[in-house]
Amino acid sequence: MSSDTTAPVRPRRALGWGFFLSELSVLFRRRRTWAMLLALAAVPVLIAVAIRLTDDGNGGGGGPAFLDRITQNGLFVGVTALVVAIPLFLPLTVGVVAGDSIAGEAGTGTLRYLLVSPVGRIRLLVVKFAAAAVFCLAATLTVSIAGILIGLALFPVGPVALVSGDTVSVGESLLRSLLIALYITLGLLGLSAIGLFISTLTDAPVGAMAATVVVSIVAQVVGQLSQLEWLHPWLFTYHWLDFADLLRQPIEWSSFGANAVLQLAYVAVFGALAYGRFATKDILS
Amino acid sequence: MNRTWHRWIPAVAVPAVVVAVAVTGGVAATASADLPEKTPQEVLALVGSSEVEAFSGTLEQSSDLGLPDVSALSSGSGASDDSGAAVSSALELATGSHTARIYVDGPERLRVQVLDTLAERDAVRNGDDLWLYDSDEQSAVHATLPSHDGGATPEGSFPGADGTVPTPDELASRFLDSVDPSTDVSLGSEQTVAGRDAYSLVLTPRTDDTLVGSVTIAVDAETGMPLEVQVFARGASSAAFEVGFTDLSLDTPSADLFDFTPPAGTEVTEKELDAPGHDGTGTDDDASDAAGHQDREPTVTGEGWSSIVETALGGDLTEITSNPLFSQLATPVEGGSVLQTALVSVLLTDDGRLLAGAVPAELLQQAAAAE
Repeated sequence: MSSDTTAPVRPRRALGWGFFLSELSVLFRRRRTWAMLLALAAVPVLIAVAIRLTDDGNGGGGGPAFLDRITQNGLFVGVTALVVAIPLFLPLTVGVVAGDSIAGEAGTGTLRYLLVSPVGRIRLLVVKFAAAAVFCLAATLTVSIAGILIGLALFPVGPVALVSGDTVSVGESLLRSLLIALYITLGLLGLSAIGLFISTLTDAPVGAMAATVVVSIVAQVVGQLSQLEWLHPWLFTYHWLDFADLLRQPIEWSSFGANAVLQLAYVAVFGALAYGRFATKDILS
Repeated sequence: MNRTWHRWIPAVAVPAVVVAVAVTGGVAATASADLPEKTPQEVLALVGSSEVEAFSGTLEQSSDLGLPDVSALSSGSGASDDSGAAVSSALELATGSHTARIYVDGPERLRVQVLDTLAERDAVRNGDDLWLYDSDEQSAVHATLPSHDGGATPEGSFPGADGTVPTPDELASRFLDSVDPSTDVSLGSEQTVAGRDAYSLVLTPRTDDTLVGSVTIAVDAETGMPLEVQVFARGASSAAFEVGFTDLSLDTPSADLFDFTPPAGTEVTEKELDAPGHDGTGTDDDASDAAGHQDREPTVTGEGWSSIVETALGGDLTEITSNPLFSQLATPVEGGSVLQTALVSVLLTDDGRLLAGAVPAELLQQAAAAE
């Protein structure tokens, strides 16, 4: 955290930005972050190579959605990879980053030094959350872009058939891929807030990471149980797979809005809980 | 610790506010409208005079017919043969919960999109061209309407509608056609559907011999268009079947939507359309097709709500009864098997007759024994 030593001479507003940028550079200079992004990029590459090697001309009907379309159009690799990555890989990496945010500083004993420099606890929480949000975007874009690139390399590329059966140009399909990445990033914000809250509860970063990932898995399991159907619209995972609404013609925006409202509610609730916990916590390490 | 308790205030207040907003948001959506007084007859006339030619909207269908989850069943059984898949797909559409988008421009241009998770089923009619598209199967069915049928197709009865959810309009006209002395028509409290003020017509059967308790139809106060249809089973407080708009726009939809070309790589089947006016009671048709024989005239006994439709299936019944779906859904009774839902009973007798009606199963058995 030595990069923050110039902060005191700056005006208050610039302090926040400087702290945010330094937090980002710490996050993205870690080997762990790069390893996670590489692992995410490997998902579409593995899918594309596997399909390429076993190309038997038909999808066989099994596997994740859109899988059987890849041989016709390489641009579907990105979408298929996202379908595969959403249930486990993305929550896993987001859980690591969000769970580590406060507990990691506490675990390495740097948290009190952070707070000794004039950084308020609210500001620290906001900056940690913002950095986690940036990681969500980076992770989603990594899967999407790696998928598009490997698709370009291994498969023919042309106008894309949407789930409605209409066909759009390559340019518009790339725009829609970007929208999907934004949609999924938005969908991961609730989990990031939960991870941040859990991270304020403990000084053991591994525990916070594991707990965050478990929360996301439990939410998805509950989402599969039809006996708990009344609960489903309240789960932060409820809209995760609705990104396909962006692949309809015309685009169905209602799920985008509903997803945003739901995630905002989660961010508000768990942000408030994290503040309550963190502001009253005795920082001993 | 005393001086820090107030820092927990946001942690308590924010969740409380979020819950409060979520709850009151639901209440505001059902706030009643303030509409001019009308008699039930005037509202019926309003429906009759409805002249909405072009609209687009989102439909929600949900049903609680007391059947097991058919979507899980059909995927579990592997949908081995085509007929079984067709039956379970039709059953799934009729009994499941769905969201669909509908685009209508005049009587000859229509598009219905059933929005599934990561997939979609489309039905498009543009003039004489009919398309059914299934993105999950990557398959399409194309048919051309006989040209003389041009404008004669009654509004709302889209010949390809087997593949989609019914619209409130279509369903409402089915119920309103049966408004006769056997039905009591009254007005319920005004309601708001899809952000529009609506009268609510309540149709109550006068007979006790039916499973249907009442039918509620929300009628748009401005245009007379049916916006929502709810069918209640006798004695039930929540609807057994409902379909309604959650979003409606009366603007003419974009013409591109009706110009459908299946994407490359789609398996296209050309289908001959036989007689126009083929009325889509999906499951029955598919079931009889599955048994592999020509159509037989169904006979109708009884009147109004308690009428019973009887048709002789003939042929080999084991094809139907050996379907795993059948043994899951039907219960054996004396002389046959009964499929009992909250609204409809179906009796398949051992001698190959199929009886169906919105009546208790005992009445079906009596009708079957009476012959």
